[in-house]
Amino acid sequence: MNSEFVQKWKSQVKKGTLAYIVLNVLNGNEYYGYELIEEIKKNTRIEIAEGTLYPLLNRLKKEFLVDSKWVEQESGIPRKYYTLTKEGKSTLKGMQEYWQHLEKSIKRISK
Amino acid sequence: MKAIKFKNSAAQKVYADYMKRMKRMVATLPSEDQADILMEFNSHIYESTIGSIANQEVDDLMDVIQKLGSPEEVLKPMIAERKLIQATKSFNPFHVFKALLLNIGNGISYIFFALLYLILFAFLFTIIAKMVTPDQVGLFFKDGSFRVLGSVDTATIEKYNYKEVLGNWFIPVMTLISIAWYLLITFLLRLLRPKK
Repeated sequence: MNSEFVQKWKSQVKKGTLAYIVLNVLNGNEYYGYELIEEIKKNTRIEIAEGTLYPLLNRLKKEFLVDSKWVEQESGIPRKYYTLTKEGKSTLKGMQEYWQHLEKSIKRISK
Repeated sequence: MKAIKFKNSAAQKVYADYMKRMKRMVATLPSEDQADILMEFNSHIYESTIGSIANQEVDDLMDVIQKLGSPEEVLKPMIAERKLIQATKSFNPFHVFKALLLNIGNGISYIFFALLYLILFAFLFTIIAKMVTPDQVGLFFKDGSFRVLGSVDTATIEKYNYKEVLGNWFIPVMTLISIAWYLLITFLLRLLRPKK
């Protein structure tokens, strides 16, 4: 096995699916950045590079797919909570349909 | 923004240094954007290190910082995006120029915009040049067709019999064109932004 090739491919797949992962995890939930990373780790065992998550959240917000609000904490250090917008939900639905289609196709061709 | 208090003084120093670099990076943005970005990373560092015991703090903090990456790297795309939003809202040429510079790696369209901007500077340059050497700068025609907009040396003007057609109107006309050009660039730039 060319493990270097597989490694590169894996990181490409991860990069390409990060937005999809984040939108799925946020679906029906409200998380702040650190919590979101923990949730992703817990549910998928996918290690998310923190450095890519925050720019991604910023982009999703710019595209009106997520909304955020600051919530004061007792510590005095507020958390920024993210939720899906209506548009985010419908966008995710579209992505899920494509994902299912992709999954079926891959299954059909894998031997 | 409330700073995080570490038990370990070395950790406090590492944290202060990281936040200082972040502040330097976001300084170009409007103050609400600066606060929003800094507070979010501050919160991330706080939540990731809250459970650390004193002699583990430096290691834990270094780990968090390493995973986040250097401020220069992490913040670059965020700053580029927010700067663009600010620029298209404000019409301030300084912000627009800076936003274009930050976004130039993000696609061919921004290179195109940078070119449009360069032309704008060329227009402004002709205005200044007209003040310095009024005889050699203008809108030159020959036999009723356009030849040169800008600066031409006297010898060439005489040799080809160029006629300057705007005269004293050159500066007002170029000023109007520059303003119109600038508004056009900024409007086009607005179209690039996602709309709700």
